Order: sequence, then structure tokens, then C-alpha cells
Amino acid sequence: MENVVEFKNVMKNFKGFSVNNMDLQVKQGFVTGFIGANGAGKSTTIKLMMNLLRPDAGEIKLFGLDYKTHEKAIKERIGFVYDGNVFFEGLNLKDIKRIVGPAYKRWDDALFYRYVEQFNLPLNKAIRTFSKGMQMKASLAIALSHHAELIIMDEPTAGLDPIFRRELLDLLQELMLDGSRTIFFSTHITTDLDRIADYIAFIKNGELVFNQSIHEVAENYALVKGGTDLLDRDTEQVFLHIRRTPTGFEALTDNRSNVKSLFGNHVLMEQASLEDIMYHLKGDVQHV
Amino acid sequence: MFNLIIRDIILQKKQLMIFIPYILFFILMGSPPILTFLVACIFIPFNAYAYDEKAETNILLNSLPYTRTEIIASRYLGAILYMAVSIGITSLALLVFNKMFTWTDIAIAVGLFLLFASLTFPLFQILKPGYISTVVLMGFILTSLGFLRMSRHLPEYAAAISEFMDTFSDPVLYTGAAVVVMAVYAVSWGVTTIIYQRKAF
Repeated sequence: MENVVEFKNVMKNFKGFSVNNMDLQVKQGFVTGFIGANGAGKSTTIKLMMNLLRPDAGEIKLFGLDYKTHEKAIKERIGFVYDGNVFFEGLNLKDIKRIVGPAYKRWDDALFYRYVEQFNLPLNKAIRTFSKGMQMKASLAIALSHHAELIIMDEPTAGLDPIFRRELLDLLQELMLDGSRTIFFSTHITTDLDRIADYIAFIKNGELVFNQSIHEVAENYALVKGGTDLLDRDTEQVFLHIRRTPTGFEALTDNRSNVKSLFGNHVLMEQASLEDIMYHLKGDVQHV
Repeated sequence: MFNLIIRDIILQKKQLMIFIPYILFFILMGSPPILTFLVACIFIPFNAYAYDEKAETNILLNSLPYTRTEIIASRYLGAILYMAVSIGITSLALLVFNKMFTWTDIAIAVGLFLLFASLTFPLFQILKPGYISTVVLMGFILTSLGFLRMSRHLPEYAAAISEFMDTFSDPVLYTGAAVVVMAVYAVSWGVTTIIYQRKAF
């Protein structure tokens, strides 16, 4: 399986925040959801991926190419959608197309107008007057009109109403039918991912906690509930995080079989949702 | 990269409509041709920076298949292109209104514009957005005040200066000035490229 994006030991330091030793692979032909709390480093990672930021150390390759020597060739193959509007807000969509279109060798006007029609976007109204959802659709129409192989999206569903969010996810699913496309998108709305993601990459405090297929996540992670009398210094070791309540405990594990052999039927094991995982891992990972 | 230069025209469609009245204002006010040429040259490139100081614009441009070197090159080449066009339009306007001007006026205006651009373009990359127009305005006022003060003492130095100038023949003087201006512009281009390469968005 080929990796479209490859981070090797990437480091980026800011005042009070850093991305540390990140090894991230995004597999070709799949949807990778990138989750993490606000401020965990999602946008920084995406900026590193787009070469808006340069790493202090480590190596970043897209399509097996290096930004130093192949910047244009790489960006030619990427479609991007950012959280906020990056297009000149005083311009209408037609003028934005006039500016952005010629930048790409493979820009397809017919395709662009097809998306404009599909999304019901006005061509002659200033972007400023667009709702958040419409701005998103406009960015997406532009991102999709040059036959990009990799689509990178930073929080595309943030601030969208539930109906449009679903429409967007359906559209992304449609795009994937092609087979050669890769989508990488960040979100903190984890339910988006249950619907379309093949892989989940989870970042916390600038560190990649895991990058697994959605099936692996479901197989490995579990929510365990039981009486507090079961917990002691040794048994606690199998959990990543434990929350104690007056009636018992709820804990997260990434090793189902271990828990099973240790506690047998004395505990209740449930599928851990991505939200459960994010919640339990929000502090430092520790064997409480 | 030509697309990057054309971008300014698309962006400034509306502002361009005031370009002619703006030039006419200076012509009808009876400004010296040098000043009219100079303000005409400044119009498009400096309007463009009003867009470029926004972080979003840089995120957009850098996400498109352009290199940072190209983005800056488009600024410097665009400034020369738009300068040429602006001078053409202004010359026509001056001719229409029967105002006299010479090639020397144009040459001096071009020289001053290129120097002004050389000094301000790198500044646009260093200063934080929002402060740029203030700094440029302050700079303009301070420079004017400086010139006023200097011009008061000018008669004292005039003799010495003209004596110094006289040691060169006219062609040497003009060629020398042109070479100096081009060198300054080239250095400024290089410096701005280096600054822009290191920027984070």
C-alpha cells in the first residue's frame, strides 16, 4: 500500500507548543480522519503538510516527493479546503475562479461549473455575502475542479448545520468511488468519522497517539466498567485512563484481550467510541 | 507566474475605475509632471499590498502551485509592468490636457518610484499587518519634512553639488543613476525573497 503523505520524525517548535517526532502516513485511496482536541496540533500538521510551515527537523514527503525540489508538482495534485475563507472576500466566485484556475495545469472549467450548479452557488455574488456553508461549498468546488489526487481539509464540517454536514460526507464518499483519490481531513466532531473514515489518526498535545484503521480501533479499544474493588496497583496497569464514580469505575483500554483474561466476566466491556477515546486520553496517558 | 501579475487587475477592477480621476486630479491641480507620474506608478502596486498583507491571501497563494520565489518575483515584475502601463496612461492624459513634460520627468519619476518600491516592499514583509499603512504614511511625512529642511540649506550646498555633478558628463550621470537604481531594486528583490521564504503562515 502506497503512502501519499509521509512524515518522518517531524518536529516543529513554537513558544509553548510543539509537534514532536511525528511519524504520520496517509494511505492512498482511503479517507483518513484526523482527530484531536482544539489546540492539539491539527492545523499545524496540516500547515506542515501544505508547506505553509517548514519543519524544524524531520522529513515530509507527499506522493514520494520532497517540497524542496518538487513544490509545484506536489501542490498541483492537492485540493485544499481550510477552516476559514482564504479567498478574497470582496470578489465573486467567477473572479476567484479567474485567479485560482490558471494556477493549475489540470484545471477543468466544465467540472467547476458542474459543482457550482450541484452546490447551488451564485457566481456573481461576493464571497463575503456567503453563509459559512456556502463558503465551504465554494472552497470545495474549487478544490475539486483540478482533478486533485489528495484532498486536504481542515475542519470542513465545523460550523455547518447537520443537514449540510451529511450532504458533505455523502459527497466525499462519492468522490472516493473513483478509487485513486485520498482524503485527509481534520475534525473534532468524531461522529463525522464513523460514517466515512477508513483510518483514524489521533493527535494529542502535538503527538500522534495512534494512526489505525477504523476496524483496528474498534478491535483494540474498549470501554470497561466494573466495581472499584477490582482495581489495584496491578490491574490498573491494563488501562490507559480510569474514571472513578461512586458506583464503580469506567476505564479505557487499548488491549481488549488482556482485560478479558484478567477480569473475565466481572467487568462489562463496551465498544469505545472515538469520543470516549478522546475524552479518556485528554489528560496525560497514565496508568492511574 | 503571469497569472499572479494579472491577479492584481482582477482584484482591483473597482479601484481601477478611480485611477483616471485620480490622475486627472493631479494634472488639473497643476502638479509637476514628475509628481503626477510618481503617484500614478504607485497606485496599482501599493493597492495590491493592501490585499497581500492579509494572512489569508498568503495562505491561499502558498497553497496554490506557486513557489515563494515566484510570488515575490510577481510583485517585483508586476510593479515594473504596471509602472510602464501607468506612465503610458498618464502621458496620454498629460498630452490631452496639453501639459508639457519631458523624458527627463519620466526618467526621474521611474527612478524615484523604483527606489520607493525597493525600500517599502521588504518592509511590507517585516511589519505586522495593520501597521503597514501607518508606517508608510509616517515615512512619507517624515521624508517630506526632511526634504523641506534640507531644501532650506540647499543653496549652501547647491554650488558644491553642481560642481560635483559637473565633473560627470550627462550620459555618464544618467547611466550611473540608472545602474544605481536597478542595483537597489535587485538587492531589495533578493532581500524580500529571503524574508518571504522564511515566513510562516
